[in-house]
Amino acid sequence: MDKKIPWIVKYRPRRVEEVVDQDDAKRSLREWLGQWARGRVPERRAALLYGPPGVGKTSLVEALAREFDFEVLELNASDYRRKTDIERTVGVAAGKRPLFKKGLLILMDEVDGIDPRFDEGGVEALLEVVKSTSNPLVFTANDPWREQIRPLRELCLMVEFKELSEGAIVSLLQRICEGERLQCDKEALKLIAERSMGDARAAVNDLQAVAEGYGRVTVDVVRALIRGRDKSLNIWRTLNSIVYAKQAWMAKKAVTQSEVDYETLITWLSDNIPKKYTEPEDLYRAYEALSRATLQIARSKTSGEWSLLPYVFDLIGPGITFARTSGSISKEKYGFPEKVRLAIQLKTTREIREKLAEQLARNTLTSKSTVKNEIIPYLTIIFRNTSNPIIAARIAIGYRLDKETIKFLAGPNTENVLKTIEKIRKAKPEEVKEEKPETKKQSKTTKEERTAKNNKAKSTGSLDEFLKRS
Amino acid sequence: MCVLSIAELLWVEKYRPRTLDDIVNQKEVVERLKVFVRERSMPHLLFAGPPGTGKTTAAHALAHDLYGENYRQYMLELNASDERGINVIREKVKEFARSRAPEGVPFKVILLDESDNMTGDAQHALRRLMELYTASTRFILVANYPSKIIDPIQSRCAFFRFTPLSRDDVVGRLRYIAEREGVDYDDEALDTIYEISEGDMRRAINVLQAASAMGKVTIETVYKVVGMARPREVREMLKQALSGDFTGARNHMRKLMLEYGLSGEDIVRQVHREIFSQEVNIPEELRVMIADYLGEIHFRLIEGSDDDIQLSALLAWLALMGKRLK
Repeated sequence: MDKKIPWIVKYRPRRVEEVVDQDDAKRSLREWLGQWARGRVPERRAALLYGPPGVGKTSLVEALAREFDFEVLELNASDYRRKTDIERTVGVAAGKRPLFKKGLLILMDEVDGIDPRFDEGGVEALLEVVKSTSNPLVFTANDPWREQIRPLRELCLMVEFKELSEGAIVSLLQRICEGERLQCDKEALKLIAERSMGDARAAVNDLQAVAEGYGRVTVDVVRALIRGRDKSLNIWRTLNSIVYAKQAWMAKKAVTQSEVDYETLITWLSDNIPKKYTEPEDLYRAYEALSRATLQIARSKTSGEWSLLPYVFDLIGPGITFARTSGSISKEKYGFPEKVRLAIQLKTTREIREKLAEQLARNTLTSKSTVKNEIIPYLTIIFRNTSNPIIAARIAIGYRLDKETIKFLAGPNTENVLKTIEKIRKAKPEEVKEEKPETKKQSKTTKEERTAKNNKAKSTGSLDEFLKRS
Repeated sequence: MCVLSIAELLWVEKYRPRTLDDIVNQKEVVERLKVFVRERSMPHLLFAGPPGTGKTTAAHALAHDLYGENYRQYMLELNASDERGINVIREKVKEFARSRAPEGVPFKVILLDESDNMTGDAQHALRRLMELYTASTRFILVANYPSKIIDPIQSRCAFFRFTPLSRDDVVGRLRYIAEREGVDYDDEALDTIYEISEGDMRRAINVLQAASAMGKVTIETVYKVVGMARPREVREMLKQALSGDFTGARNHMRKLMLEYGLSGEDIVRQVHREIFSQEVNIPEELRVMIADYLGEIHFRLIEGSDDDIQLSALLAWLALMGKRLK
């Protein structure tokens, strides 16, 4: 058994007949490519193949290209999505002549991944290429109905790929078992097929995982190892599978088969590890793994290198399992992430703080972050000073702080500050009112005007006098 | 003189110089800026220097002198640490460039504060923006560390270096404010504020205002205020982590993030300040080890990884070190 080549590559169909099912797709795509091969440009110069993952979209294109003796130029849309990238790659390829073969076919995967927010002009650039290409252009997509590729839909030959039947997958698995000289229980293959939910790629990967792990493919082994793909492991079972995994691949599988995405999983792991691991050494290694995982995620996001993601799975699966070397596993139950609960609980406080930071950032000409780090702490001191609430009250008036914000700053001293504000207002209501122009105008009032007003207020006498009079 | 208005403002706002003439220090810079005002023409500008030395103030004063009282309508103010990415900035610049220029001055001003917080990629995009709108706008970039600004931008800007404020500058200003506000103070207390604030005028004035609210401004009240402004949770968090209580330490960490609104980097910086404080009782060699790991965590944060996870990793490491000490 050659472990180095993934079976999904080794058993990739070479001829169109070897592609399972998808007769309609085969017919319409063969006709379309046939036109190109005869030197005629079809009405629609591009085809959009759509359907769930692992049903043979790419395989069929490759097999057909071989049949008509076309070279295939594969581009992954996630690598080239911006306008300039597309013009530079697809645009250039669309006008090229093939080097060795009869024709050149351009295959662009995951075209539904184009994000109109980040990949500005990407779709427009593709449309231009589609209209003018002198080579056949094939796109694939899982979800062709996304709004951003609507214009593309209108110009392309739409070719649907259906979910594969269980029977089709079983016969594919059988073919592989024969090729690998593996003893395979037919019931076990059925079980794998059933749980693959029509995804041949997933089924072949599962077969290989079972065969390499156990050397035989029987129903009980399959039942124990392969839980259905996608939405099958809920969060609790994911956590448990990672903590108790015996081998690295089991922990890895728990991550890839979890119903939650890896970022959610990290949040849950981060809150639940200290419940299960008790030794500081274990805890440290576990967090170091999580820390490196989030670093890796950040890198893959900024560089666009999604090929870095598998390492994340390694770190948050086996990385957590085998962080534990010395200590035992505590019996404590898993729980909801405290972080999420706290964030919800403190949402209002956060909003008040953000609003205040925004207002003061504009007034003191600095960033919200500086306000939070360097101004709010001092304001809090002033507002919580029980012996002298007058200054706090005057600042509250100066910035027209509402009750909630005053409460945020003053905490236990809130009543004191609010009362003082009332007292000042009663003493000199007209000045206070004057300080309060309509909100619309207020934003345009310059500081100079406001300072001028302050000066005017100044001339009316000291605050101590107001208070004495009241 | 002790005449007060009802409404009070933060003194950093109240005593900010409004015009170039009001700015007493940074003389060379101010003289060069005044030439731009006289000639009604200027290139893109890059203001660099330590925090609290008047960079943003100078930019506003310049715009004030160019456009008059309502200068803010001819100036787009952006802060790179608050704007979410270059796309937001691009949209705002595009929108702003469309509005008309004032009479007499053929351009509008875009002030981009903390521009050294932008990634290299974002700066390259910014450079293209500068080129695109150069007919109708001028950029003023403000930065603490000019070396973090990419060369193509630096070469397109006139460079202004803001020097750290001298003791006389800071103490003089504090004394001026204290007199105007009728604050009771000891002279040495103002010196102490200067020492603590390391030439950062903004911090110095904030400390003065908070200390004056406590009563007479003395060395003691200054230290008290500075101590209070630093969340207690940072030290508590450190203590608990080092005593081996990871969960307790993490509760403090979350309080800092969620209640005080501090970012992961803010907390790392505060921890860094704490670990060299003599009030935190740890072996000297451990201080260095903590600093070393702290640096690593800080780097991971800068790379964009998750705050909560990075700080948890830090606390788990501290808990381990704490255990080894026992």
